[in-house]
Amino acid sequence: MVLGGLLLYPIYQLGLISFFHYTQAQVSGGQPATFEGFGNYREIFSDAQFWQVLLATVVFAAACVVSTLSVGCALAVLLTRVRALPRLALMLAALGAWATPAVTGSTVWLLLFDPDFGPVNRMLGLGDHSWTYGRLSAFLLVLLEVVWCSFPFVMVTVYAGIRAVPAEVLEAAELDGASQLRVWRSVLAPMLRPILVVVTIQSVIWDFKVFTQIYVMTNGGGIAGQNLTLNVYAYQQAFASSQYSLGSAIGIVMLLILLAVTLVYLRLLRRQGEEL
Amino acid sequence: MKPSVRSVRSVRLVAPVAALALAGFTATACAPETSDNSSSGKDEQTGTLRVWLFQEVGNTPKEKVVTSVVDAFEKAHKGVDVKVEYIPVETRAQRIKAAFNDPKSAPDVIEYGNTDTAGYVADGGLLDVSKEFAAWDEATDTDPTARQSVTVDGKVYGAPFFVGVRALYYRTDVFKELGLDVPKTMAELTTTAHEIRAAEPDLYGLVVGGAFTYGAMPFIWANGGELATGRGGSYASAIDSTAAQKGIKAYTSLFGDDNCPAAKCAGMGGNDTITAFAAGKAGMAIGGDFNHAAVQAGKVKDDYAVVPLPGVEAGSVAPAFAGGNNLGVLNSTSHRTLAVDLMEQLASKQTQTRLFDAMGFLPTFADVRETVAKKQPYVAPFVKTLAAGTKFVPASPAWSRIDSSLVLPTMFQEIVSGKKDVAAASAEAAKKMDDAFGSAG
Amino acid sequence: MYGNVVQAGRGVRGVRRFVRRPWRLAAEVSALLIAAVVAFPLYWMVLSAFKPAGEIESTEPRPWTSAPSLDSFRRVFGQQEFGRYFLNSLVVACSVVIVSALIAFLAATAVTRFRFRFRTTLLIMFLMAQMVPVEALTIPLFFLMRDFGQLNTLGALILPHIAFSLPFAIWMLRGFVKAVPEALEEAAYIDGASRSRFLWQILFPLVFPGLVATSVFSFISAWNDFLFAKSFIISDTSQSTLPMALLVFYKPDDPDWGGVMAASTVMTIPVLVFFVLVQRRLVSGLGGAVKD
Repeated sequence: MVLGGLLLYPIYQLGLISFFHYTQAQVSGGQPATFEGFGNYREIFSDAQFWQVLLATVVFAAACVVSTLSVGCALAVLLTRVRALPRLALMLAALGAWATPAVTGSTVWLLLFDPDFGPVNRMLGLGDHSWTYGRLSAFLLVLLEVVWCSFPFVMVTVYAGIRAVPAEVLEAAELDGASQLRVWRSVLAPMLRPILVVVTIQSVIWDFKVFTQIYVMTNGGGIAGQNLTLNVYAYQQAFASSQYSLGSAIGIVMLLILLAVTLVYLRLLRRQGEEL
Repeated sequence: MKPSVRSVRSVRLVAPVAALALAGFTATACAPETSDNSSSGKDEQTGTLRVWLFQEVGNTPKEKVVTSVVDAFEKAHKGVDVKVEYIPVETRAQRIKAAFNDPKSAPDVIEYGNTDTAGYVADGGLLDVSKEFAAWDEATDTDPTARQSVTVDGKVYGAPFFVGVRALYYRTDVFKELGLDVPKTMAELTTTAHEIRAAEPDLYGLVVGGAFTYGAMPFIWANGGELATGRGGSYASAIDSTAAQKGIKAYTSLFGDDNCPAAKCAGMGGNDTITAFAAGKAGMAIGGDFNHAAVQAGKVKDDYAVVPLPGVEAGSVAPAFAGGNNLGVLNSTSHRTLAVDLMEQLASKQTQTRLFDAMGFLPTFADVRETVAKKQPYVAPFVKTLAAGTKFVPASPAWSRIDSSLVLPTMFQEIVSGKKDVAAASAEAAKKMDDAFGSAG
Repeated sequence: MYGNVVQAGRGVRGVRRFVRRPWRLAAEVSALLIAAVVAFPLYWMVLSAFKPAGEIESTEPRPWTSAPSLDSFRRVFGQQEFGRYFLNSLVVACSVVIVSALIAFLAATAVTRFRFRFRTTLLIMFLMAQMVPVEALTIPLFFLMRDFGQLNTLGALILPHIAFSLPFAIWMLRGFVKAVPEALEEAAYIDGASRSRFLWQILFPLVFPGLVATSVFSFISAWNDFLFAKSFIISDTSQSTLPMALLVFYKPDDPDWGGVMAASTVMTIPVLVFFVLVQRRLVSGLGGAVKD
């Protein structure tokens, strides 16, 4: 009860707030909250920058999801093929990357790639090339950090999934004379499918909402805001100055986009005959 | 799967799950939640006073000073218990807003950053202490900018606790080797910066940052520009005025291969510039009294000196931004008299002197500052900068939005990266600022 | 196990032995190389924690330090109530892990073994809370916590974290429960096992790798949380958690990177310890469990 309320009641409040004029003054009861209808939404949609940021966010998130999933899955498979020692080494390294607080991880990466103080430019012989000045190279740097700290989640989950397939099932398939490809297609993939689905959806949600990495690594959205993503934009325009109603409206827009992506994805799976 | 006996049991498991979902729809209300934070109106003379101060990295010396003030206060007021908590600066926004929302958790006295004053006042969180402040004898020596930083719309909402101000750090060894003189005007500052860079291509002449707003403001102010004009709720941006544009041009002209390459400097903030200076990558930098320790720990230790940032005229000082922290009393306090008294004790001349000794916090009283400058020569240029007159950001709740949405850094970066010229970028920034002033009113 | 299957498909049995060795060697070498690359930023973090002030950002970045110093760690441990924060974090993370694993296990069994309408809808609804910026949720959650009287207690951290880690945990475990052949369940009942016996003694160990993976997930997200900790623990610093001890070093005008790196190192170690403790379960797989 309590937990479900914890998840859904805030969403309901959020939707409600997005139709009001609601700032810190209203929260603390200094002024009454006034109903504004779609005023907050009008403000967002009439802002040209919002659309640019939205586009950048979608492309960036898609790149992050694809890279994270491919790296994570590839390494999960790699883990099943090695002995205990390299496996533990890779797992611990990955876990460390995952466990590092996002602010620290971002700071360290920035330090590594710093044109004056970083070792990476030295090693690559790039002189004092600045990674954060160009729009694409700044996004690339953030992408690398995002993949670094989120592939372990995919790797560990998928690895656990592969491990959960009972040996008997695989042996039986083998005895039946199934080829390697067939084993993967008709035994492993269907069993891993639900896990891959949730890992994908989770990654989409996280990468669409990426905040700390952009905020720290591009110093709040890059040169003249070129690296802004939606979550950082919402923070700067609304939450940092307690414009909760505006922030909630952006939040609802994000919710609808992510919901749409999720539903389309699930529908596509269903059309392929995959039942969730 | 066909329904089976097993499924029946499963229903029991499902039930709570479904109930979880339902809970969200049943707990409905008609309007967003608000809380009641009106002042309690009570003025109790005994009980517990709660104080929130910022937790510094080496906090023990601060705690010692505060504890002794608190002990004396408790001795003077029978039946009063003071509880001090130290909160990380990074958590202040959430904590203090939460305190406004939940008077039960709220402290009586808080330390807060002086740029937050107008916002907290608009949130209805801070108590108007104009009367007490006027009656406080020590307040007559409070420096005008510090007083401005606790004032919104003519009313006083706290007592200045300490100030922070920036001046020009320069490398004595580099200047000596190249036979350079310390710049006396802003124009000389630029030529000196170019000379350093020309002679030592590995160094930035004067390291500047596109996101270093407080380093750029003196250039605008020295040229007679303002960020915004007006009083109280009705501010209007002045960032696109001719004078302000001149200042913006002066600052942005420092970005380039002949001083501080845009590719590296456009993204820098205040910290990055001082870090570069401390690591020996720059001939000059604009840094605060609070950066002293970091520079001293760096490679350049003992090879640098500090002077006030020169203004346009020879011998003048460019007005600096006066940062720092204030103390204030929360609206929800039920111990008004005691809380204001404790605030004055914590912000008194004596406490500020001791805090300077312990933590290096610059006092907000002009006379106390003169005294401490004699004890610690390194603060002299900062005290001189303060004495020459400093400036403050617009006392409007809109400032927090202008600040967090990076209006000014965006403007500088657009110019520096060649995306826009000074006129276009400043006009755009002025529009954004006016939007914020308009919606916050 | 998976590797074996793949290799087994590789044609002639006699050749297998010879093909297998270089393949595995290549795999192991690349695993170690990747581990090194992944660990490099971590190494740099720990290194920076040991560097004396002023050497972290120097124009000569060296992968070692000539004068290792414990000063940064001293500043971390010297904080008021550091031990208390550590314990609080441990309490929060462990409660979240245990409670969410239990609930998720039961709920996952329910949604897998019983088909009902809106099953997917329900799961997506659980995920909805994660689709909005978390700052947007703190205000409504703040009022909820206040109404529950949980403000300033560890409950205000535990409850939301359980709620946030459950959707993933349920969905993830579903995959694992689904992977358990139904024949096994039938067999258990034929052998006379009761339902709760099947649930706890047969199914539970079978989905353990999944539980481990979700536990790591919920442990890390609870352990590293800043936002709830600073929004809901307002006036009682004795209820604060470890990330607050890290935030002290992020000063807007004068950050202490040595302290940040040292505090982060200290924060990362318990996660690694937790993982080492549970990873055997993850790695051991199910072959044995099923045969018993």
